[in-house]
Amino acid sequence: MIGDARRIVRDTVLTAEICVIGGGAAGITLALALRNSGLRVLLLESGGLQEHAPTQALYEGEVEDELLHSPTDKYRQRRFGGSTTIWGGRCVPFDPIDFDARPWIPNSGWPIAYDTVARWYPAANELVEAGAFDYDARTARNGGMQPMIEGFAPQEFDVDRIERFSCPTDFAGRYRHRLERAESIRVLLHANVTKLQAARDGGRISHAEVRTLDGGQFRVQADQFVVATGGLETPRLLLASNDVHADGIGNAHDLLGRTYMCHVAGTLGTLRLNDAKVWHGYDRAEDGTYCRRRIALTEEAQHAHGLGNLVFRLHHPRIPDPAHRTGALSAIYLAKHLISYEYGKRLTGDGPTNARTWLRHVGNLVTDPFGAADFLTHWVRHRTLAARKFPSVIIRPRANLFSLDFHGEQVPLPESRVHLAAATDPFGMPRIRVDWRYSPLDVRTVATGFALLRQEVAESGIGSLSLDPHEADIEAMVRRDGAYGGHHIGTARMGDSEATGVVDGNGRVFGVNNLFLAGSAIFPTSSQANPTLTIVALALRLAAHLQSRATTPVDLTTRPATLVESGA
Amino acid sequence: MPDTVQFAPARVLVVGATGFIGHRLVQALAREPSLLPVAASRRAVPIAGIEAVACDATDPAAMTRALAGIDLAVNCVAGNDAAMVTATRVLCDAARRSGLRRLVHLSSMAVYGDATGLVDERTPATPPLSGYGAAKQETERLVREWEQDGGRAAILRPGCVYGPGSEQWTGRIARLLRAGRLGDLGPDGDGVCNLTFIDDLVAAIITCLTRDEAVGETFNIAMADPPDWNAYLVRFARALGATPINRLSGRQLRLESKLAAPALKLAAIGTRVARLSVRMPDAITPSLAGLMRQDIRLDVNKAAHLLGLGETSLDWGIAASVRWVDGKRGGNTADTLMETRAS
Ligand SMILES: Cc1cc2nc3c(=O)[nH]c(=O)nc-3n(C[C@H](O)[C@H](O)[C@H](O)COP(=O)(O)OP(=O)(O)OC[C@H]3O[C@@H](n4cnc5c(N)ncnc54)[C@H](O)[C@@H]3O)c2cc1C
Repeated sequence: MIGDARRIVRDTVLTAEICVIGGGAAGITLALALRNSGLRVLLLESGGLQEHAPTQALYEGEVEDELLHSPTDKYRQRRFGGSTTIWGGRCVPFDPIDFDARPWIPNSGWPIAYDTVARWYPAANELVEAGAFDYDARTARNGGMQPMIEGFAPQEFDVDRIERFSCPTDFAGRYRHRLERAESIRVLLHANVTKLQAARDGGRISHAEVRTLDGGQFRVQADQFVVATGGLETPRLLLASNDVHADGIGNAHDLLGRTYMCHVAGTLGTLRLNDAKVWHGYDRAEDGTYCRRRIALTEEAQHAHGLGNLVFRLHHPRIPDPAHRTGALSAIYLAKHLISYEYGKRLTGDGPTNARTWLRHVGNLVTDPFGAADFLTHWVRHRTLAARKFPSVIIRPRANLFSLDFHGEQVPLPESRVHLAAATDPFGMPRIRVDWRYSPLDVRTVATGFALLRQEVAESGIGSLSLDPHEADIEAMVRRDGAYGGHHIGTARMGDSEATGVVDGNGRVFGVNNLFLAGSAIFPTSSQANPTLTIVALALRLAAHLQSRATTPVDLTTRPATLVESGA
Repeated sequence: MPDTVQFAPARVLVVGATGFIGHRLVQALAREPSLLPVAASRRAVPIAGIEAVACDATDPAAMTRALAGIDLAVNCVAGNDAAMVTATRVLCDAARRSGLRRLVHLSSMAVYGDATGLVDERTPATPPLSGYGAAKQETERLVREWEQDGGRAAILRPGCVYGPGSEQWTGRIARLLRAGRLGDLGPDGDGVCNLTFIDDLVAAIITCLTRDEAVGETFNIAMADPPDWNAYLVRFARALGATPINRLSGRQLRLESKLAAPALKLAAIGTRVARLSVRMPDAITPSLAGLMRQDIRLDVNKAAHLLGLGETSLDWGIAASVRWVDGKRGGNTADTLMETRAS
């Protein structure tokens, strides 16, 4: 059932076997997975069913360098469903190499093996509604997907890896009625957890403090707590719960809030193809999901060149630059004020729009009106009106020129961090301050990856790949889009021990017996992949673990983490 | 000694023998050495090698004649709700004066109305009941009344009976899937799809005719571990090759059930009045849309334990369904025009 925290009598103590804090992809997955477990689950969600400005404003914070990182109340949504209410739905599993300790990447390596997560991918894929768990272009569709560039079979890249798209599924909209019907689940909306109260010895959480914006407050006692408030809010809540643990819960080794990663991403280069057949759009699998090929740096190449994980996608030219002469792209540029902050951000050019640029875009529209009209009709039909949405703008550039979208791993860097600011929110909770940094290795991954691809393109004879003069400084290109929005990773990382991680391989906070974290905060490394599919897979795994723990005698659960690994 | 062990095979009257279930049942009975089917329908339709009698099930005199010399009977009468109730009353009344030893009566999960959760045979109905559900409930009452007077009966409550011959849950669904009007329904297809494969239902009927444990009992007959509607629709669409599968929004579905369905119904009445033999497109009625959201799961433990009934896997059932649908498209259109009804 779903209720409203504003109706809870002041100072009441609610109890549950499992208390989940946060109702985004991770929290909703946990609740759904625990629905038939016989355990009483209480899910506390700050937001309601709609966006609500004062609630969203609780996400406001400070950013060290506003050119590198977007404001903290953008690219995340504080409402039931969390950021899945606005996400793009791109689903990609992590690669086995992401779990390895790679000597060339400091702080890399997960305490759990790829397979322990991969087991949960098929069920996660189903929950995010991205169809079958098949990420191979040769099998994702009967007869295989069409080639991206005919005859292009590079050595250092895999062109058969694909991404699949969720509807994109808003977890609250999609699964709300399942939660409503589940008798053992209680969701309370408008419930803001402002503090986790540790017991005097610090070894467990005794209760969570909950506040509502209309002045209500109550407590929740539970056998187990799971914090699933997203990659920025999770460290905030733990850092702010600092009465028993003076530096915040789980922060004995100053890891909490550190190694904050997003992805490095942007659009780069010009790919000129001779007359090879090119398909840079989507294919649909039988199950209806949109699938698209990528150009993925192989594990061998990452080893050989000492790089992070990286993918390229064939892309239309950068929209803000009118040189593409494509009416549809110019139409998007000219309409950018109608597009939300999150999706419009990359439409901003390298400086303020000047009249000349604007006029050149209008010119493109005038000389290519049919291209723009075709695009619009398709968009309205297959995106605006469709329940499974056409995932992104795909436009065949007029000149046979493409550019490359890159999406690269950002390596864990302790100096890249989230900490508490002096300012507080209306509940008196300190706001966050984001100091996002990237590493020279991140830039090298993109630069070397690009150089490798350029060489392979040249050797294959399909055409040529080049950088525009103003793109020569790859670091500037990486900085141009800064931290890729919406992926908040590594701020409460998993580790083998308290010295290397905030949580163990099951997501339990070291030193606190009944506190678990879910979401991308616990990822030790960021991969090339977007995080949500893995967030959901790990949440399913955690649900199984919590269930087995709830039925295991207490003394067993205090044994070392490796022994209580749920077999998941 | 079980009453079915005897020298001459027992004569089984199948009332409603030309309907989907009755037809399949008659053929299966013909393969049973101890049972001899007699196919009763309004017009005696000859089925190779099977005895047929003409019998308007709502006509007491005709029913009395049909029951002469009959040992066992199965009530598969379909039709409109009132006719179904009348036929059952007529059948039970006629049986009071015949030598009928046992009746297997086909009811439906529709008798549970809007019930949710795991539903066993003792679960009371949750209102509102559809007209069909209320009619089936009334037929059950009539059968039980007859039992109190000394009759012996078993009642079966199947879910959505699918497979070869099923216009409602196979033919219609296949056409809607191919037209892209059904597919993955998201939250609107999260209800449980209590499927009953036609041959499993036929096996259950035959078991009830022959096993004494069935007498006086009511059984849910469906898959033990049913898929949700989305899963059924998606798996069926894939097997049909109706791909890529469409995702339908709640808005589209509401348009279908609130606007298109009533319009199609009017049009259907119109074509009937004008005596046009036009095949109208299928409708996604509000009741179908409601069913696909309903979180009801039939508990089939009793049938499994008392009668030892098993089930056909969904994969097998779907494969058989696809063969039937494709065969039908190939030629034989007589089946296609068979009357269908929504639950
Ligand atoms: C524009 C955009 C596009 C994206 N596109 C993609 C994509 O294509 N692919 C992909 O994989 N990912 C994408 N993402 C990321 C994706 O949205 C997140 O990975 C995902 O939503 C994270 O799920 P979560 O449950 O961990 O956190 P969230 O979704 O952030 O949910 C956290 C929940 O906790 C609640 N909460 C916060 N604080 C409190 C508190 N103190 N008390 C109670 N409740 C609280 C919030 O209201 C929220 O509901 C995108 C994100 C954005 C913004």
